[in-house]
Amino acid sequence: MAKRRISRRRFLEGTGTVLTVAAAAPALRAQTPAGAPAAPHTTITIALNGAQRRLDVEDRWTLAEALRDHAGLTGTKIGCDRGECGACTVLVDGKPVYSCSQLAVWMDGRSIQTVEGLTKNGELSALQKSFVAHDAPQCGFCTSGQLMAATALLSANPHPSADEARAAMAGNICRCSNYNHYIAATIAAAQGSTDAGRASQARQRDGGDPESVAVQPAAIKVSSATSPVAALNVVGHDAPRIDAAERVSGKAKYTADIMLPGMLYARVLRSPHPHARVRRIDVSKARALPGVKAIVTHENCSVVWGAGSISGGAQYNDEVKKITKHRRYAFNNPVRFVGDPVAAVAAIDRHVAEEALQLIAVDYEPLPFVLDPEEALKPDAVKIWPEGNLSPTARNDFQPIGQKRGSVEEGFKASDRVFEERFSTSFVHNAQMEPRSAVAHWEGDKLTIYTPTGGIANCRTDMARDLGIPAENVRVVCQYMGGNFGNKNQNQDADLIAAALAKETSAPVKLELSRKEDFIGMHGRWPTAQYYKVGVKSDGTLQAIQLRGFSGMGPYRKNSGNIAGVEIYQCPNIETTISPVYTNRTVSGNFRGPEYPQGFFGIQSMMDDVAAKMKMDPVEFIIKNMTRKAGDQTPYTNYSLEECIRRGAEAFEWKKRWKSTPGSDPGPIKRGAGTSFMAFRAGLGRSSAVIRLDGSGKYSVHVGVTDVGAGAKTTMGLIAAEALGVKLSDLEVVWGDTDRCPYSVGESGSRTTIMTGYAVVEAARDLKKQIAEKGMPKGSDVLIGNATPNPTLQGKVRSTFGAHFVEVEVDVDLGRARVVKYLAVHDCGRIINPLTARSQIKGGATMGIGMALHEDLLYDRRSGTPLTPGYYGARVSTHRDAPEIDVIFIESDDGLGPFGAKSMGESSKVPSPAAVANAVANAIGHRMKDLPITREKLVAALAAENGGRS
Amino acid sequence: VKAFTNANARDLTQAVTLIRQARDTHRSVAVAGGGSDLLGMMKEGLIAPDVVVRLASIRSLDHVTVKNGVTIGGLTTLDALAANAAIRRDYRVLAEAAESVATPQIRNVATIAGNVCQRPWCWYYRNGFKCLKNGGNTCYSVSGENEFHAIFGGGPSYIVHPSDTAPALVALDATFRLAGPAGERRVAAADFFTLPTVDASRENVLKDGEVLAEIVLPPRAAGTRSTYHKILDREAWTHAVVSAAVVLDMNKDVCRSARIVLGGVAPIPWRLPEVEKLLAGKRITPEIAAAAGEAAVAGAKPLAKNSYKVPLTRNMVRRTLEEIAKA
Repeated sequence: MAKRRISRRRFLEGTGTVLTVAAAAPALRAQTPAGAPAAPHTTITIALNGAQRRLDVEDRWTLAEALRDHAGLTGTKIGCDRGECGACTVLVDGKPVYSCSQLAVWMDGRSIQTVEGLTKNGELSALQKSFVAHDAPQCGFCTSGQLMAATALLSANPHPSADEARAAMAGNICRCSNYNHYIAATIAAAQGSTDAGRASQARQRDGGDPESVAVQPAAIKVSSATSPVAALNVVGHDAPRIDAAERVSGKAKYTADIMLPGMLYARVLRSPHPHARVRRIDVSKARALPGVKAIVTHENCSVVWGAGSISGGAQYNDEVKKITKHRRYAFNNPVRFVGDPVAAVAAIDRHVAEEALQLIAVDYEPLPFVLDPEEALKPDAVKIWPEGNLSPTARNDFQPIGQKRGSVEEGFKASDRVFEERFSTSFVHNAQMEPRSAVAHWEGDKLTIYTPTGGIANCRTDMARDLGIPAENVRVVCQYMGGNFGNKNQNQDADLIAAALAKETSAPVKLELSRKEDFIGMHGRWPTAQYYKVGVKSDGTLQAIQLRGFSGMGPYRKNSGNIAGVEIYQCPNIETTISPVYTNRTVSGNFRGPEYPQGFFGIQSMMDDVAAKMKMDPVEFIIKNMTRKAGDQTPYTNYSLEECIRRGAEAFEWKKRWKSTPGSDPGPIKRGAGTSFMAFRAGLGRSSAVIRLDGSGKYSVHVGVTDVGAGAKTTMGLIAAEALGVKLSDLEVVWGDTDRCPYSVGESGSRTTIMTGYAVVEAARDLKKQIAEKGMPKGSDVLIGNATPNPTLQGKVRSTFGAHFVEVEVDVDLGRARVVKYLAVHDCGRIINPLTARSQIKGGATMGIGMALHEDLLYDRRSGTPLTPGYYGARVSTHRDAPEIDVIFIESDDGLGPFGAKSMGESSKVPSPAAVANAVANAIGHRMKDLPITREKLVAALAAENGGRS
Repeated sequence: VKAFTNANARDLTQAVTLIRQARDTHRSVAVAGGGSDLLGMMKEGLIAPDVVVRLASIRSLDHVTVKNGVTIGGLTTLDALAANAAIRRDYRVLAEAAESVATPQIRNVATIAGNVCQRPWCWYYRNGFKCLKNGGNTCYSVSGENEFHAIFGGGPSYIVHPSDTAPALVALDATFRLAGPAGERRVAAADFFTLPTVDASRENVLKDGEVLAEIVLPPRAAGTRSTYHKILDREAWTHAVVSAAVVLDMNKDVCRSARIVLGGVAPIPWRLPEVEKLLAGKRITPEIAAAAGEAAVAGAKPLAKNSYKVPLTRNMVRRTLEEIAKA
């Protein structure tokens, strides 16, 4: 059926529809450069979303590439391009297939359905509606793939059980980890219902493992005993996202979906060595390749990547840029980790750019390298920077970081018992579903950059500073973004490289990172080694906590490298000494609670172990020793930690599930329970908002958020509606474009709701005052309310609180650890939107399970090469790894923030790894001290305990 | 990805011709079944063919035919195989192995031939190290990161064979029909896979230009029970850490004969003849199952970081036998 067509002419004779598409697709063969042989191509006929189409495709194009770049169907996403994540799932003859792993030319005569084909006559399918109602899409990048897998499931099996749905969707990873909501939405759609409660009942009828079934409704809201909170008019009620329809229909435009006329494609050549001097780069052959437009290397591009350097982001100001001793460039020499950029190419299409990379000859002088932070501090270790491997602060202060209160020496003397233990955590990558990309476009002196950033304002400042141009000349646009999880409230080197190439070529340039590049070239959670020494009285009262910690930062200090957790205990004597250490590994940076999940794993494993050795119930130990004032002296604005723990223990049936004798279950299948608790920053700060009201009565809320997946646009809309006293549907939210939005603090540090949300409240107040004075605007009049509040706390600390309770089942024969029950209790102040709040809590907890049990980036120690970059290698959690997470919100209102709302996004991940690890210890009677607690570690530990037998 | 020409093969003869023609014109050639893994390897630069010969277009090799046993076309997808009623009923071990592979999306395109013939998933090989499998003369795992490598049959390469269906086919005593430029030949599944001592750059006896065309399963004896157990690294989409394909010919509760083949532990599907002998003529009691577990790991030679696979294998064999005895 397929006919080989060499001439473009025949292609142009195709159907009118295809012609239209071809005209809109900039990278079609029209750009075949002079002198280059046309790549083999073939005309195929497919039924695409029900319509017959003829397409002329290069034989090497994947189906995903053909759909996205040449048929204009960008709803199909590329998350890994390797058949590991499922974002590209389409239906071929009704069956789900990874379109990244099929050639378009193989599709001749087949029927293909994409997400765009689910919507009929503008109406969403029942499944799409159910996805909206259940808040299944968070960032939305995996959603098209989830929809296609679920659509195929429901047509083959109209009434699937939850386990059947998990199995059918196991090939679709969701890094927001909203697995519970995807499954619930699919089952509800099967029942012709969009009601979350009925899906929950369906799960109970499953007949599967009764413990994996949510017995309660998905989330319970409880007003705090100390601070009754009633729902307001708009705030506090479940509200589907205002952009949910775009997220479930493939209409949401992410950075890689941006197509500009004449756009070039860029690729980056990266160092294969962990440490090497670049002697010479010969680009002549690459430059001679037809279609190559520009090549940049450290020789002709000396742009400093400011936000990639010491301490990063907002702390990296002009002064620091001048004084820093350890400057990071877009292209560095020497290169200091496998993945450090060496060169970048812009060419007429991505294949030419990739071919050009192969033709660049780099002469490296390999240098000695070091991977382990503790090794790196030894006197004879190779120095990655001249001053050694202890990373300095932004002010060139070469000292460990830490805190001290009282005297730990005195504390240990006063203790009845003293315990010491070492814990470690590994590098876990953010692995957001959208691989990093950037589209740069210069118009004269003005740069427009489309990029997945969680902070358009900070990204703009960073770009201006790094390129040495005024901030007014930079426009940053991010309308949709496929996940954040940290290190995105700034610019990326991809943005700078795209900008440099666009300048060089006077054409728009799109730079796309592969999944592997995103894993090794960008940032993940810093690995740690934590040495604790803890002294207690015989009644379990803490006397002293000492922590010596080491954080592996990679060769550039991007973020703090701190290890948190000691501060959440009351203790008269504490001392922490944390060394952020340079290594020749992938750079470490902020990832959902930057220093918390790994630190909390260490300290709360330590304390759980102390409690076990003191023969105390860990819940009692926690209640005795947990923080009641910040730093034991400053009062919290409100305090609900004890309530979180007590209510959680009761709802979880802690006394029933926790084993007073760990590992006491007979037989190889052992259950146990663990808990951990959390206090996490929820401070106030500066941000801006503008609300415009026109003569038609339309309110436009301008906020500089991008909505990384947490639902900020909707949250801002709800806050505005409440503050203005109007309906959500009466207003529009304008976001994600520095030309249209005021400053926002940016989506990091769980601050958007508190800070930008509060600015919205103040802007509404300003607008209402004007309305009261001038009346509603008429005709072409407009009123503009704006505010940039910078509220401060008067001698108090504002914190969010929570506790997680986990039951695990460990098969000690086979080393399989599985979470069978999970309860997360959170006081996040007032909940603005319970629907999206549940997604946040469940997602963070589920991510934490992956960190506890399997995720890792493993290195070859001899070559310094990462061996497991990607979803497959790093063992990122799938539908089948995600248990039901039960959520209880204890609401409070301390009178601060927007209607009393506190932080949420990061806090749900913070206690999770510790709770899981404590449950494992309780189940097997053996403390697992190194994350992740993989099967091989469990089996090896148990075999060692049994004298080599198991 | 370098430009290449795709050629859809109509039938086996044409496929072999296309492969030969490419070679005759000094163009490198790769054959594609489902293509998922092939495209991944091309994108990683592990292979850069000038010509891709697509076999999945050969309709005559996409079938499961029940006659004197079962004949399975090499281009049958894993999804079709796992869903086939005859396979599920009489060759359960194969159905379970097929449905344990990767994800639904991959099983919908992946073929049985491609699964059996897939290249190793050793992280050194997949990351482009110039190892024995990739034109070099070193196995980096020996003194490197070898958590997932062989505890049996290793040297000079220590890969583990990545296929889930291969141990099942060896356990079922399947015969492979191979087609190539020199015509057809038949090879027992157990003889298809070769140790690295034979040729460390390959995993099987396929010659250049030869493809796995069909798989023939002998008729099922009455009383046969079979199952495939697989240990994964997360709950979905990993290759086997350790797996066991067990086929027992039972006379009531007495095992007349057994075939037990492990996956994930050796460069080939690793048959356990001593365990099979131990089980023959016995009732599968907990004691026998435990003894079988012990015998299964006799002779294991773990590397520095994979000794955990020894208790895992021992327990897996014991538990699988206990469960199948109860079934």
